[in-house]
Amino acid sequence: MAEKTYKFISQPRRAVEDRRFVAGRGKFVADLDRPGMLHVAPLASHYPAAIINKIDVTAALAMPGVVDVITGAEISAAIQPLINGLDTPNVRRFPLAVGRVRYAGEWVCAVVAESRAIAEDALEKIIVDAAAQPFVLDAEEALLSTSPPVHPEHGSNLLLDKKFVWGAVDDDFALAKHNLSFSVTWGRNSTVPIETFGVVAEWNGWDQILDIWASVQMPKYSDQISRCLGLAGNAVRVHYDIDVGGSYGVKRGIKHATLIGYIARKLGRPVRFIEDRLENMRAGDAHGPERKFDVTMAFEDDGTIRSMKMRALDNAGAYAGRAPFQLGKPIGAIVGPYQINSVSYHALSVTSNKTVQEAVRGFGQAPTNYAIETAMDRVANFLKMDRLVLRQHNLIRADQFPYLIPSGSTYDSGDYHTVIDKVLNAADYSALVATRDRLRTEGMMAGIGVAACLEPSGGNSSFEPLLNEANKTSTWMESCQVNVDALGNVIARIHTTSSGQGHDTLVSTVLGEVLQIDPDKIRVTRPNSLESLPGNSPVGSRMAIMLGGAAARAAEKLKLKIVAIAAHCLGFDADKLVYSGGDVLAPDGSKHSWLDAVELAHRQFHNLPEGMDPGLASFDIMQVPTGDALPVDGKVQMYPCYSFEFHLVLVAFDPVIGRPEIRSYTIGHDCGTVINPAIVSGMTYGGIAHGIGATLFEEFAYDANGQLMTQSFLDYLMPSSHEVPPIEIVKHCTPSPHTVFGQKGSGESGYLGAPAAISGAINDAVAALDIHFEKLPIRMSAISDAISNKLA
Amino acid sequence: MNINLNGNELIFVRPNELWNSVIDPVVLQRSIPGCISMVETVPGEYVMTLELKVAAVGGSFEGTVGLSEMDPPNSCVISVSGSGTLGTGTGTARVTISDGESGTANIAYEAAGEVGGLVAGVGQRILLGVAKHLVRQFFTALKKEFVAS
Repeated sequence: MAEKTYKFISQPRRAVEDRRFVAGRGKFVADLDRPGMLHVAPLASHYPAAIINKIDVTAALAMPGVVDVITGAEISAAIQPLINGLDTPNVRRFPLAVGRVRYAGEWVCAVVAESRAIAEDALEKIIVDAAAQPFVLDAEEALLSTSPPVHPEHGSNLLLDKKFVWGAVDDDFALAKHNLSFSVTWGRNSTVPIETFGVVAEWNGWDQILDIWASVQMPKYSDQISRCLGLAGNAVRVHYDIDVGGSYGVKRGIKHATLIGYIARKLGRPVRFIEDRLENMRAGDAHGPERKFDVTMAFEDDGTIRSMKMRALDNAGAYAGRAPFQLGKPIGAIVGPYQINSVSYHALSVTSNKTVQEAVRGFGQAPTNYAIETAMDRVANFLKMDRLVLRQHNLIRADQFPYLIPSGSTYDSGDYHTVIDKVLNAADYSALVATRDRLRTEGMMAGIGVAACLEPSGGNSSFEPLLNEANKTSTWMESCQVNVDALGNVIARIHTTSSGQGHDTLVSTVLGEVLQIDPDKIRVTRPNSLESLPGNSPVGSRMAIMLGGAAARAAEKLKLKIVAIAAHCLGFDADKLVYSGGDVLAPDGSKHSWLDAVELAHRQFHNLPEGMDPGLASFDIMQVPTGDALPVDGKVQMYPCYSFEFHLVLVAFDPVIGRPEIRSYTIGHDCGTVINPAIVSGMTYGGIAHGIGATLFEEFAYDANGQLMTQSFLDYLMPSSHEVPPIEIVKHCTPSPHTVFGQKGSGESGYLGAPAAISGAINDAVAALDIHFEKLPIRMSAISDAISNKLA
Repeated sequence: MNINLNGNELIFVRPNELWNSVIDPVVLQRSIPGCISMVETVPGEYVMTLELKVAAVGGSFEGTVGLSEMDPPNSCVISVSGSGTLGTGTGTARVTISDGESGTANIAYEAAGEVGGLVAGVGQRILLGVAKHLVRQFFTALKKEFVAS
């Protein structure tokens, strides 16, 4: 399929949002200053588990400037529990702890004061009489019947226990010559946005409307706030024209917004809460998946993988939330880019006395990719086969698409072998191997890592009905409105916040392409939730596909109307006319210009075709492609599009110091048609940096007493420019047949394969010592300790 | 996180005079760093309020202090338990007083404590140093008690 050329799409164009950010003119929640605004500070639990006997707020309330102190008992009597993704009605969660605390850092009560400083001072005056309780931190331990349940009313720590068997797993295992089992663990990490979560709420009693400004990336946000607070959906107005300073999944903000919304309504004054870093790291929505995999592979002498058994145990933390679904999404790419005939998958999610897990970039896909790629490395080592050759042998071939995998998803398109070949050429693979071998002769530990991974994109929520039969959701739409004003200028409306994805650029580029007008002349606006069409926000690597798709379809509808007006005026059938650069050209050389259409649509109803409504406006509400059915027999089409990435990494380190240094990093990336190359490259660079963090540094680590040890940037280490090497991106384009321009998602690119590749490189470096690092992050202390133990 | 501290100090005072001071809430209040008040509730048990500042974080603590296994003027066990905005702490210390040389008393201590809450995480690198520093401050103040008289 030849690549189509576009005028604006795929062209090097500056992101329109960059100008205001570079100039320091972004508008964030913390920039809002509402008259009479109150401030909130939450009191955090010291204990990982305790029963709250009594909270004495008398002294705090007596302080000048303190307006109120809200407890869990008060708020739980006034609002509904936060929405629970699973069918676990006894795992109830409120914004504040009710009767019992379940993790160190959990909010026990909230002081409302004239300033944040006063509120923080008042926290010291609150006396909490709490009795410490037994707690559990480890997921395997949490499964034991002897462990204390985090929610005694629920009866155990088990939130989710689903077994799937796709295909003839037992037969394939019986036939295969070899079996190999291993375990790996993905550590808790986050995306750590620079801006912590913030929210401002204001209740307008005369209009009966609760206004919310929030630093949020959360599907159905206003619906959830309305339900929790017992308000009509049209009584909550979430403002989307607020900049979000980074998210990649974690800015869920639902407990914050219900708490602050409740206080604003109770007190009749605007209320603001901006997390400080400790609040964000301990009890915000910061923590991502923490997952242990037990994997068994069945394969033949020639490297052919027949079947895979995978058990995935996720530590969800103290409440259920949406986190367990992060075990569900990877089902849509459970075999990675490989031909694996059958799979069994056992997904387990447990509560523990750790901070609540929330969504993080990839929604569980990066850990699963890490497990699959580790399996490929282990099988290759077992067979003494080259890791690349083993992968190439098992990869789905370009002529096999569309390709149905055992768990029910059909991959749309791809050319994995070509992408890998391009990377091997670009990085000069044989020279890279020579460098590794030379480094080894010089006394360094050196290793090469490879990872071939998928990024499912175009997010819908098929994992909800798959993991929870009570959930019948198949709709996962996005929408866009386009209006041409009376002067002929184009205004597009999108109905969500953005946290750096460049949605304004996406929509103006797509509209410019379809309408053939300069994207820089298109105004993109973000109304509030009361003035918006339905949508599901930017999650699941979906907006290029879904918002780009809705914008393109709305523009096509507008174009049809412009042509219909021209056909009526010029006296030709519409199919004889050509739309060109906003004008409509007739076969006889006559022209009906853009401004002619504007004039007729806005001012000359008498000249419009009979039955046509005035104005030049259109909208589109688009359902996610392929998202047309509920699961059947444990199988479902998950996401519609599958981007591919291939990582090739050289890592070297001193055997005594053990500090891994990435000497070479090349990634091949195929996300179909790229809308804006700079934005996609930025996503990929950032994703790899995030992946370096997850592999080598970042972890929310707890001590044996249940205290979070990494809650500031002194202890929660992130890669800096010292640790992130120059990265070469090798591009390839296999368009998706399901999308308007052949685009696929790229919002999670880089992160989905980097941990697998880097850990593969470190394991290659220590393979001669028969060391396997089985847990991320692989800290330098772990490396140097393991080597010194072997050499001792 | 767990903190263990051991040590001993030489103080220019006779052992039983030192003993009387160590179990005297008035002296203890003057000597314990940041101690705002110390009130005896029942014999050998006190309620204490502390205000401490450690690096960038500071706050007040409420706690109880108990004396047990009293063997005057030789040894006792001091148990401390408290909590505040920064976190929680529990600990016990065995204190042994013996004759030093030339009119001095030797006071030896073996303490084991556990710190929880915010300060356990943010303070992990400095907690042991801070604890040692506070102990040093305590003994410096205690020694002043006898210099003044």
